[in-house]
Amino acid sequence: MSKKIYELVDDLPKKGLTVMALNSLDKFVPGQWDNLVGFDNTIKTVTGETDPTMVQAIGERAITLFNDKKEGYQRALWLYQTVDSASGMLGTAALANRIGQDSFLGFLQNISPKPEKAQTIDLSIKLVTEVVAFCHINGIPGDSLGDFLKSLGAYGSESLMRMAALVTFDGVIPLGADFSSKVLTSIKGMGASDLEKNPTFKGVKKEIPGDDSESKLAFITESFESTRGWMDKFVADKGITQSSAVDGLSGFIEGSKSKLDYLGAFLDISVKYYEHTGIQTLSRRLIERAVAEL
Amino acid sequence: MFLTRWLRRLAPLLVCLVLLVTACSTAPDKYEQVQKDTTGFGKPAAVAKQAEKGGTFNQFFPKGEGDYELIPSQEKKGFAQYKLNQDGTTLAMLSINDTLSLPAAAAKYDNATDKIAGYPSVKQGTTTLALLVNGRYQVKVLSRDQSFTEADRSAWLEKFDLAGLAELEGVPAPQAKKAPRLPKTAPQRNLVPQPAA
Repeated sequence: MSKKIYELVDDLPKKGLTVMALNSLDKFVPGQWDNLVGFDNTIKTVTGETDPTMVQAIGERAITLFNDKKEGYQRALWLYQTVDSASGMLGTAALANRIGQDSFLGFLQNISPKPEKAQTIDLSIKLVTEVVAFCHINGIPGDSLGDFLKSLGAYGSESLMRMAALVTFDGVIPLGADFSSKVLTSIKGMGASDLEKNPTFKGVKKEIPGDDSESKLAFITESFESTRGWMDKFVADKGITQSSAVDGLSGFIEGSKSKLDYLGAFLDISVKYYEHTGIQTLSRRLIERAVAEL
Repeated sequence: MFLTRWLRRLAPLLVCLVLLVTACSTAPDKYEQVQKDTTGFGKPAAVAKQAEKGGTFNQFFPKGEGDYELIPSQEKKGFAQYKLNQDGTTLAMLSINDTLSLPAAAAKYDNATDKIAGYPSVKQGTTTLALLVNGRYQVKVLSRDQSFTEADRSAWLEKFDLAGLAELEGVPAPQAKKAPRLPKTAPQRNLVPQPAA
């Protein structure tokens, strides 16, 4: 039985760690995100329609589109959910590794990847997942590569929030404001076997373009290289630093300031921002298509 | 006796409780029927096999002018959509869809009395103005900002290449193209933060 999209949207949490963590980013992207939950509420907010018959018709068409596997929406949902839960596993591994460095459980270091390397892979795979999920949801809009890039570039609301969270929670907090050069150096020095050991990669590898792990790694590296400029500019323009990002979180995660690598791992385990905002993006796009097709 | 008296008092309470529980458990799921109809074996496809490929529609969309910018938004079989932006704000969504997948969408024009550029036109809800070309291709302008009025919707509908779209039917159907393939190389992404759509 496939998942019901209207229930997924109805069940999105209104509060909790994920919502609080995302709200803490409001100071970097003010007013971009309001936590839009509830299927009918999303229909009304996105389309401006309030007539119950119209809302029902839009909802029914959106559900029909989602339930047709060929339309790609279910794959995008799977990607958003999997990359979050797989990186949660990575967080657990990173925590184990951190414990290993601090205590007698030193042997754990031999079986866990170093947090920084794991974090590097995690960040770059989440970025690639975004591009792939975008294509499943929107197709490849426009007539030229330029059109496609323009479409990718026009990120707003929850999609921009997802990117802000990626840069902040998976980049700046665990790796520092210069995370992009660290990540690039790290993935360039990696082999396919490093990638294959990574739980986030294992989770979504079948959806990453490329015939084998080596070509998938090349795709990941290329994607990271091409988006690096945007990420650096975003961090600089918004003034995102480790301390400003952690300040926002310290209100509800006590003691987070002194243990940044623990914090990164903790966020990985407990904050499902990809799935949360991914479902919001997916429903918004479905609804925009449904109302236009009716 | 004692028991009967208590039961008599409790009965109304119990009835209320039962009613409440039943009401909760049988609350109508207004999307249950469509969920049932569109899942499982033998369910109909959401998009007709013969529907025009979405990319074909791109050429008929208006072009950006002045500070109006058109940004490709979605392109799926039988459907293409653009955002109409001004200074980063989305004013409206512009779309073309093939009603082969959704005959009811075309049927609503049967009694249309209004016309735009000679094509039957209908208002839908409070934010949408639409017209139908050749009884098949639906063109819509949907406001996403209060400043974008019905007159604006009508003006932008006329900016589509409607005559070009009208010639589409009758042309031998282009070879069916596969679903959009993911790019083999990573795209150059240049994300620009924008206000909520």
